[in-house]
Amino acid sequence: MKYKIFVLLGLMTFLGSCTKDFEEVNVNPNAPAIVPLDYLLSQSALLLAGSAGDPGYKSWRANFIYAGCIMQQMASVEVGFYRGTVYTFQGDLSAAYFESSYPNSIKNLVNLIDLASKDAKDVNVLSMARILRVVETSFLTDLYGDVPYSEAGKGFISKINSPKYDPQQAIYMDMLKELDEASKAFNPASYKPTTADFVYGGDLDKWKRGANSLMLRIAMRMQKADATNAQAWAKKAIDAGIMASNDDSFTIKMDKTGAGNNSNANSWNLGAGRKIADGNNIQWAKTFIDMMKARKDPRLPVVAALKNGDRSVDKQIGIPSGTDATTLTSLPEKNLDNYSRAAPNMYVLSNPYFIMTYAESQLLKAEAIERGWATGDAKAAFEAGQVAAILQLNAYGGTLTDADAKAYSAANPYPSGTLDAKLEAIQTENWLINGSVLNHMEAWADWRRTGFPKLVPVNYPGNETNGQIPRRLRYPQSEVGVNENITEAITRQGGDTFMTKIWWDK
Amino acid sequence: MQKNLLVLTLFLCSLLVNLSYAQEMAVTGKVSEEGGGEVAGVNVVVKGTNRGTTTNDKGEFSIQAEKGKVLIFSFIGYNSKEVTINASILDVSLTPEATALNEVVVTALGIKKEKKALGYAVSEIKGEELTVARTPNMANSLAGKVAGLNITGTATGPAGSTRITLRGNGSISGNNQPLIVVDGIPINNENLGQAGMWGGADQGDGISSLNPDEIENISVLKGATAAALYGSRASNGAILVTTKGGKMEKGIGLEVNSNYLAEDLLIKEFKDYQYEYGMGNNGLKPTTVNEALTSNSWGTRLDGSNVIQFDGVSRPYSAQRDNLSKFYQIGSTFTNSVAFSGAAATSTYRFSMNNMDNKGVMPNNTLHRNNFALNVNSNLGKKLSILTNIKYVYEKTKNRPRLSDSPGNANYAIYSLASSMDVETFRDTKYDAAGNEKVWSDNVYVTNPYFAAYDFQNNDQKNRVIGAIEPKFDILDWLFVKGRIGIDYFNYRYRAIEPYGTAYKVLGSYTSNQREFMERNMDLMLGIDKKFGDKFGFNLLLGGNQMRNVNRLTNLGGNNFNIPFFYDISNIDPAARTSSENYIERRINSLYGSGEFSFNNYLFVTATARNDWFSTLASGYNSILYPSVGASFVVSEAIQMPAAINYFKVRSSWAQAGGATDPYKLLLTYALSGAHNGAPLAQINNTEIPNSLLQPLTSTTFEAGLEARLFNNRLSADIAYYSRKTTNDIVNATVSYTSGYNAAVFNVGEISNKGIELLLNFEALRKNSFTWNASFNMAYNKSEVINLYNDLQTLRVDENRTRTAYVHQDVGLPYSQVKGFDFKRDDQGRVVYDAQGYPLQGNLMSYGSGVSPWTLGFTNSFRYKGVGLSFLVDGKFGGKIFSGTNALGYRRGNLEETLPGRDGGLIGEGVNENGEANTVRVEAQPYYDRIANNIATPFVYSSDFIKLRQVIIDYAIPSKYLGSKSPFKAISVSLTGRNLWIIHKKTPNIDPESNYNNSNAQGLEFYSAPPTRSMGVNLNLKF
Repeated sequence: MKYKIFVLLGLMTFLGSCTKDFEEVNVNPNAPAIVPLDYLLSQSALLLAGSAGDPGYKSWRANFIYAGCIMQQMASVEVGFYRGTVYTFQGDLSAAYFESSYPNSIKNLVNLIDLASKDAKDVNVLSMARILRVVETSFLTDLYGDVPYSEAGKGFISKINSPKYDPQQAIYMDMLKELDEASKAFNPASYKPTTADFVYGGDLDKWKRGANSLMLRIAMRMQKADATNAQAWAKKAIDAGIMASNDDSFTIKMDKTGAGNNSNANSWNLGAGRKIADGNNIQWAKTFIDMMKARKDPRLPVVAALKNGDRSVDKQIGIPSGTDATTLTSLPEKNLDNYSRAAPNMYVLSNPYFIMTYAESQLLKAEAIERGWATGDAKAAFEAGQVAAILQLNAYGGTLTDADAKAYSAANPYPSGTLDAKLEAIQTENWLINGSVLNHMEAWADWRRTGFPKLVPVNYPGNETNGQIPRRLRYPQSEVGVNENITEAITRQGGDTFMTKIWWDK
Repeated sequence: MQKNLLVLTLFLCSLLVNLSYAQEMAVTGKVSEEGGGEVAGVNVVVKGTNRGTTTNDKGEFSIQAEKGKVLIFSFIGYNSKEVTINASILDVSLTPEATALNEVVVTALGIKKEKKALGYAVSEIKGEELTVARTPNMANSLAGKVAGLNITGTATGPAGSTRITLRGNGSISGNNQPLIVVDGIPINNENLGQAGMWGGADQGDGISSLNPDEIENISVLKGATAAALYGSRASNGAILVTTKGGKMEKGIGLEVNSNYLAEDLLIKEFKDYQYEYGMGNNGLKPTTVNEALTSNSWGTRLDGSNVIQFDGVSRPYSAQRDNLSKFYQIGSTFTNSVAFSGAAATSTYRFSMNNMDNKGVMPNNTLHRNNFALNVNSNLGKKLSILTNIKYVYEKTKNRPRLSDSPGNANYAIYSLASSMDVETFRDTKYDAAGNEKVWSDNVYVTNPYFAAYDFQNNDQKNRVIGAIEPKFDILDWLFVKGRIGIDYFNYRYRAIEPYGTAYKVLGSYTSNQREFMERNMDLMLGIDKKFGDKFGFNLLLGGNQMRNVNRLTNLGGNNFNIPFFYDISNIDPAARTSSENYIERRINSLYGSGEFSFNNYLFVTATARNDWFSTLASGYNSILYPSVGASFVVSEAIQMPAAINYFKVRSSWAQAGGATDPYKLLLTYALSGAHNGAPLAQINNTEIPNSLLQPLTSTTFEAGLEARLFNNRLSADIAYYSRKTTNDIVNATVSYTSGYNAAVFNVGEISNKGIELLLNFEALRKNSFTWNASFNMAYNKSEVINLYNDLQTLRVDENRTRTAYVHQDVGLPYSQVKGFDFKRDDQGRVVYDAQGYPLQGNLMSYGSGVSPWTLGFTNSFRYKGVGLSFLVDGKFGGKIFSGTNALGYRRGNLEETLPGRDGGLIGEGVNENGEANTVRVEAQPYYDRIANNIATPFVYSSDFIKLRQVIIDYAIPSKYLGSKSPFKAISVSLTGRNLWIIHKKTPNIDPESNYNNSNAQGLEFYSAPPTRSMGVNLNLKF
């Protein structure tokens, strides 16, 4: 009897306390703890381009709804939603780039940099990741100003839940250092990712030229705020060797499978995913179309078409920025179908996602030469930029020729007057380039620094800027209450409005 | 089918009653209340037969019966009594139910205990209370019935989930709901999917699948004491559902129940919307289709003129107040159940079937449910008995309504229509020429409500089996060993289609999920129950448990259908398909013990201890031991008390419970996410920062209470005070996106809940067959977040889609703070305007808790002979809710509050940034738009309410009218109404009980399904 009870108690204890295999039970069988670094590199590039996750989420809101419309390259009569047209605020639209980038691209890049720095043989992956992190950071800081950088994305690695907001100046200096170190660290003798590198397919020389060109862009951005460093870094970039042809343009290669994460985020919005071009939601702005027409820009029939597909130049008209559905009725053309919008070839899902063109690097070089920060022939650089800009559109299915490019360059010659006149010519080209490759965020940054091209602001009822063109986006309201550091950043910059000027925009 | 069954069973039963009787005599007598007058309407039945009668107005009865047989006397409100016939005149006295001193309640592990022995609070709900006034979702019928039990339905209709909490919320982000135990088996009550900030549909939970007709009673164990025997998951209390078993009776008992419920909108018109100005923007009527592509009501004064709409047709520019009742329909629920029960040789059994068909108020939304249950209790020899029960549930839901954000959410469109838009226009012009959704506003993400209801698909099916086998072997008469294996298994398939042609996703999308769930509990127990002499009693229970809980999830999906309108995964480019499998397992092993000591039947002391080992925590951190001790002292039996006091008991207990977290929270892992241009992709899988140092949390509850019955048992009271503290709470907290993660898992939270509960029963009147009983319950819970992480003062738990309102946990404040941006104000509290005359956004402020600290329920029941009337009024007080619906109503110019300034603009009252009075006149539309996008304060309301929750009229046909030849033992009919009237509320346009999910973030509302009321009839037949 007693024996039986002891057996029972023994059995009970066994039932209760046998926990030998518990550690195995708590291993997630569907998610590996270690993956090849190539996999992380390739996914990071897609996250940066806004394809993975909710495809096009940040591109739609930051690039089209705000930057594109603010820059009067795009416009929409749906002013209650495409709020950049009329400078009004809606929290989720303004916050999108910030809220989408940190938990996706920044998080994975920071982690990849951490992993790749552990072994010298991964130095090429490491350098690529460092450069990609600079690209994403520059978009973030140019949109918002002071942002988390040195502590960002380190929730796991360093257990930092509320990263501090670094002053933009410090971010800029570190981005330059990163680009310099990363491009110098490329080592042809070490392992090179090829198919996993959606930027240059493992071509390290192109990476170096790409990194140096980004360095030039970032250096020039500091021109107003810190001319000394801007000069030093611009010179360093040009000396080290910037992009040499359109083949060197910094893009992320996409695919047309139809899956969101394979698709160009801009194409996803304009076409298959959200159909905002064909749906009359967003069109080319009058400022953009008129300028192209005035300059006899051969890119116009590549980038623009009416709803019925008509690309004839004389039929193209843009919507005046600030037009809403009501004021549309007082325009000569009342039918939205007859306004120009991005032509279908502009939103093929496999179009490359442009970060920086060779053309832009030549134009920045021209400016650097004019400022005396570099040596060389400014006019030649300007013209090389013009030609490259036209031919670059062949990446969107254009069939433009050298002759087209030359004709354009001849029609829009480099001025010989003041620095201002030259700058206007240079930045007008840059504005057209970035508009035509749908990199409106970059166009906005250039415009804020140089004020070119001259744009006439819209003054719509209820705008938040007193009728002036916004200088930045507002921080996510979600940061207030979860990250106390935002308060200091707002105080340091003197507010959190569309009109608060960020460090380099003085 | 149901009708055939009914006929068949009627036939079977008529056979049973054709039995003959021998040596019968007329037995007469009088039934009276103990120490009181005669009782009319008492049922008198000859035991083991269908013969019965009822007492007349004088309490007299007469019945034919054989000497030596037993008569059963029963009546609502009294304890039944059995009397053996030994003479032809039989006077019987009945004791009112409230005086049942030896009330037995079901406690942990299904052990029945005398209530007086318990050191903690238990409340019981009888099965009939759920079946008479039935709700399609059983959990909702618990509302207002138990002090301290807080029921919050999701605003989604009957197939949705319910938030149940007992004595407040003990955990910041972990589970706060009590464990649901059905016949000893913990069942899965997880929400299978819920709406969040970005929309979605509520996919229901576990408790909603139960068939109320099967339920014998529900026992609500409020403290943590139950945790000793059920483990950590009962640290928030436990709700024990006991289903009906067979009874030792002659023949086959048959019970048939039919119920029909009609459901209708409770709020049929937006009382606080404006109907003076029509569709348009900037104070203008649309003159083109483009201008008509808006849901804004910022047009001109409504004048009845013909104005163009989105489809190019001009219609009168006049108020459309009936959109709610035009779109939503009358819902209905038809429930039929049949149960057989009886005894054969050494076994008793009960088998039941149930069929429910529900049609929601949302068009095209249906729910179908079948329940089957079998309980068998077999005695195999003298020492061995086996209890077996098995339940099978089949559920099929069509088109669960989407909530919160706009995509596919019909409610969103209905709530945001311009004042001059007739919803039926959308039915008639749903498609454009290509068969796609016709775009009707400037935001393609706001789906046409008819397109959302009829073209979107959102279907699921669930097959569920819950079963247990429980052998018990009596080694000696005071020593037994008992085993139990219980399984809860379900297979859930879900398929959702965003159709081809959807405005915001033109090529459509496909989602197919399957979830296979299994939880297995194995228990082995040794029990001792021994008396020492007359005075001392002792019982002891020792046991071990192994719990294994597995979820297997398979997901298949993709965007972009190739062939229009054909919905299958094969119609999506293989490269655009996504697929995943997830296997999630957790285990808990436990040893437990419980000992009870009793003295002289008036002093009881109970002590328990349990040790859990969790698989979800790292070894070295994964074990926790938690004890409890409780005492009960029945003062009225120990000492002589004043005559007015019939019963007086004091009780107290102290209990701890441990808890763990979900699997896979300790390590960083990667998700392989397909390939691109020949290169495989991977990214960090965790959206929460993993933490390998997590330890078990501890919840400690102290409770003291008293129970008393006074004045001849006419007044009874149960009062409890409790104090509950959770330490080392595992907190899943929102962190800054800039950390790379959405949330972090910490181990340092501390929350306190203190409260009182009061239950009063008062027999107000008992006279001449008329009774009036009043029952009042009330609870107050004061919660406080004591500590978060290090010096962290605030944690974000949820966010509203408007991006202006949030739910936080703040140190020093009650649980679930509703927060939002206030107007910018100067030192004197005046609103500050910018130079252009628009109000500025101010600080993030706390408005109060989203959880109401005060809850109360008040039931009055009247009975005259066989007719009863009862009604339940309940309310909650002290909470706050943010209404996103009203915020966007502001932005769109739909609310009455947006009328000032329509003609000629307005000057906001306050100062400019220099402190001078604001004098800048602004247009109305941008003014209100600015407020809606930046400021939450105008849309935060008190969520106080008082509702007429339930009215029941029932009538039991006296058995004398049934006649001795009738096949029926009893027939009762009842009429019920639920949620009939919101007597008091402070939230314009919305129901204060309109949370869009049942998560811990309570206090946010955004485009939920409208509240409904229901009325029904119930017919119960016993054979």
